[in-house]
Amino acid sequence: MFNAMFSMIIFPGFLFLAALSFLGEFIDRKIYARLQNRVGPPWFQPVADFIKLLGKQEIIPTEANQTMFKMAPLFATASVVTAFFYIPLWTPEAMYSFNGDILVVLYLLTIPTLSFFIGGWYSTSLYARIGTVRSLTQLFAYEVPLFMGILSSALLANTWSLTKITEFYVAHPWLWLMNLGGFIISLIALLGKLEKTPFDIPEAETEIVAGAFTEYSGKLLAFLRLTLNIEMIVGAALLSAVFLPFALTYNPYLDFVIFLIKLLSITFLISLARTVVARLRIDQMVNFCWKYLVPLAMMQLLLNLAVKGVMIK
Amino acid sequence: MNVVQKVINWSRLKSPWVLHFNTGACNACDIEIIAALTPRYDLERFGVLLKATPRHADILLCSGPVTRQIEDRLVRIYEQMAEPKFVVAVGTCSCSGGVFNGCYNIKGGINAVIPVSAYIPGCPASPKAIMDGVVKLLQSLEQKEGK
Ligand code: SF4
Repeated sequence: MFNAMFSMIIFPGFLFLAALSFLGEFIDRKIYARLQNRVGPPWFQPVADFIKLLGKQEIIPTEANQTMFKMAPLFATASVVTAFFYIPLWTPEAMYSFNGDILVVLYLLTIPTLSFFIGGWYSTSLYARIGTVRSLTQLFAYEVPLFMGILSSALLANTWSLTKITEFYVAHPWLWLMNLGGFIISLIALLGKLEKTPFDIPEAETEIVAGAFTEYSGKLLAFLRLTLNIEMIVGAALLSAVFLPFALTYNPYLDFVIFLIKLLSITFLISLARTVVARLRIDQMVNFCWKYLVPLAMMQLLLNLAVKGVMIK
Repeated sequence: MNVVQKVINWSRLKSPWVLHFNTGACNACDIEIIAALTPRYDLERFGVLLKATPRHADILLCSGPVTRQIEDRLVRIYEQMAEPKFVVAVGTCSCSGGVFNGCYNIKGGINAVIPVSAYIPGCPASPKAIMDGVVKLLQSLEQKEGK
């Protein structure tokens, strides 16, 4: 009981994850700044932002639905933190695992988007409503290639459990190379989930202020920002567990470093994408996902089916 | 002062998010504010981020004299910001009304309508002056809250 509480709240649970997400945000912002030839923020910037928001006054619009407005950020944070427990990190086993946990993780990662929708919708600001509708529209575009990309790897491993997937790829080294296409597709789809630049249409600040977050302030905003940061870390951890399950040495310390390197290189790719491309329009985004990403993910699935047929022979 | 309050004060000084609002400027001051936010000057070094909504912002950067048209909107935006909040008047016009002072459609400087924490004169105020003003505002807060 005590052990479970410890691992949920402190390590590798909420506090560890929050620290990791601050590190992730710092690296993201620093790389973004360096690529723009700037100095960038100091290392404590994400922590300072978070504490400042915690200490600020909290305004809830009188028109807004109080309960929904307050619950949405908590739901979002809780679901991303829960998703983290099912992902194998530096050990080949996750904290909790059962057959089918990959689907649970994918759906837990969808809850934040829905929470943002509910919070934004019930804040009754027009900008927030436009933002939330856009984020739902976007959800239907990126979710399919993301699921197909990640499940194609599971298909090859012939299991629905993340722990078993890692075990399979450790037993069959080099087979993860087959999934490289799926990795790229899922990474692009993840950008949509995280609402990062080519797909930051729901919070396009030059058009609709701050999207679903427009009316949020103080603690609630702090938790929304924390959720997005944690989601980036959890998404990166999921991709590294599913697509990059190599270099496991079974030495916990070394594996931890390797895990961090994998995580940070995925963060780097996300920041790189954020710097070099401009924002798409919502129709262009939906078109891109359905016309290019989904067929590519389909091809990845077919490839994995073929490989599986050959292997079974 | 207890530790928690100290940490909160520290975080406030390290992460001032600004909101830019044109209260009737001739546009030159706005261009200078935008210039101060470009990579050339890189205000993110000090944790400054430009926010688009008053709910997220800590500092309201106002430029230009307050026209009668904008008065209500200025007050509304000020009231939409969460405490603690500060107002910085950028440019001679927003300090006192400047060359527009006495016009039939002008109320005067920003302080004729809402309380102002720092004044940055200049026509237009240069990006370096704006940065200096914001840093001085933060320093004065540090002294006040450090006691
Ligand atoms: S201070 Fe000068 S530059 Fe700035 S708004 Fe007034 S007239 Fe324009």
